[in-house]
Amino acid sequence: MKRTILHCDLNCFFASAEMLYHPEYRNVPMAVSGDRKERHGIILAKNVPAKRRGVRTAETINEALRKCPELILCEPDYETYEYLSMKVRELYYEYTDRIEPFGIDECWLDISESIPYFGSWQSIVFSLLKRVREEIGLTLSIGISFNKVYAKLASDIAKEDDFFKIDSADDISGLPVKGLLGVGEKNDRILKQHGILTIGDAAKQDAAFLHSILGKFGISLYLYANGLDDSPVARFDEPCDPARSISSTSTCARDIRDRDDMKIVLIRLSENVGHRLKEQGLYFDTVHLILRDTDLNVQTMQTKLAENSDLAKEICDRAWELFENDHGLSFPLRSVGVAVSGLSSHKTGSQVSLFSQDERYSLKQKNKETAIEEIRRRFGRDAVFSLRVLEDPELSKIENKNKSYQGR
Amino acid sequence: MIRKYVDVICLNDKGGNIRPLFLIWDEEKRVPIKKVKEICPRASLKVGGSGLRYTCVFEPNRIRHLYYDRGKWYVEMNDHVL
Repeated sequence: MKRTILHCDLNCFFASAEMLYHPEYRNVPMAVSGDRKERHGIILAKNVPAKRRGVRTAETINEALRKCPELILCEPDYETYEYLSMKVRELYYEYTDRIEPFGIDECWLDISESIPYFGSWQSIVFSLLKRVREEIGLTLSIGISFNKVYAKLASDIAKEDDFFKIDSADDISGLPVKGLLGVGEKNDRILKQHGILTIGDAAKQDAAFLHSILGKFGISLYLYANGLDDSPVARFDEPCDPARSISSTSTCARDIRDRDDMKIVLIRLSENVGHRLKEQGLYFDTVHLILRDTDLNVQTMQTKLAENSDLAKEICDRAWELFENDHGLSFPLRSVGVAVSGLSSHKTGSQVSLFSQDERYSLKQKNKETAIEEIRRRFGRDAVFSLRVLEDPELSKIENKNKSYQGR
Repeated sequence: MIRKYVDVICLNDKGGNIRPLFLIWDEEKRVPIKKVKEICPRASLKVGGSGLRYTCVFEPNRIRHLYYDRGKWYVEMNDHVL
């Protein structure tokens, strides 16, 4: 049976949420941006008047203000966004239990089995558009198709408060291949080099050829372009995919000027990641360090451990080793990120002699971090921290959890 | 139009429902709510906000919307009234 999948995308979500609570912003150029003072200075979302003035998502605040000096900037109110997102999701559950969120403002809904209860897919789509507009005060773009990838593409094509349906692969063969899920700038460039410009071009290629130029994603692209993606929409009561990595990134209030600054930031980021690992009962075996200089050049490095660990100290030490190796970037640095991957819920390790020096050190560190975690659990995250971070509180000010909401 | 937050005296019944009984106007005047005609989720596009809309009947048969949004009550009001 051909499935009917909806991809529901809340239009300019952050900006719409701000306009919902501040109607005075509706007809003037307005954007939600990161904190200017703390230099998370990019546009996260903008309303239609701002878009008309050329303001783009992800550009810097200064660039946006150059184009539109009267642009009103709002700081993001994530609590409200999460509240509205949850309300919209509750509304979706009145139509189907097969709902898979894709970020805070997008969801796939498999309504194949709900259609008999509502009469037709049209009645579900019209009802969703109307109810989200009237009951929540936001607008949706709904994409409809027989698989998730096409439904997402259709919602990108759909206008605000409207829907678009893709019935077959032929409908979209002339569209740019970049519109497909997962085809970013880099893949698009590679595909262009091989003369693959449209989805139709990609569909005509051999899967092995796409694999040879794009790696593993080449196979996915072959399936996507030919409308063969059959990945299911997750049910709300199914467990989510376990996290594949945990990261913490900081754009500090000022540039990182030397090794001392770097050490402070690494300690704080590692503590953050370590805290989240312990919260989830996970161990890691690979540490990544991501550096970005003031010209926005990015350098990433990684190292694998002989045995996995959940210690913040281990993350910090490995990240420091990576940093000490030649990283090709020079001070000042604008931002630093630490990530861990190779996550597992079990401790693995090589056979070591009981109470060897390393083992004893590791046990001691483990006890120390467990005690710190307990203090944090009872008295809050900032109840205890390394003395080193007090040397420069400005540098050590880092968000606890990374939330990637860009482009809403 | 502006959003005016108000104090409300409610009845939380055994079924877990909330029924507004009195609206406190200007911090002192207790205005009885005769009847709640309708409760529905609704956005207030005039003053901004999204929550539950209570259509209330006040004495003498005046109907007004009372909104309940994240634990707070508000009414829509013409700003020139203030």
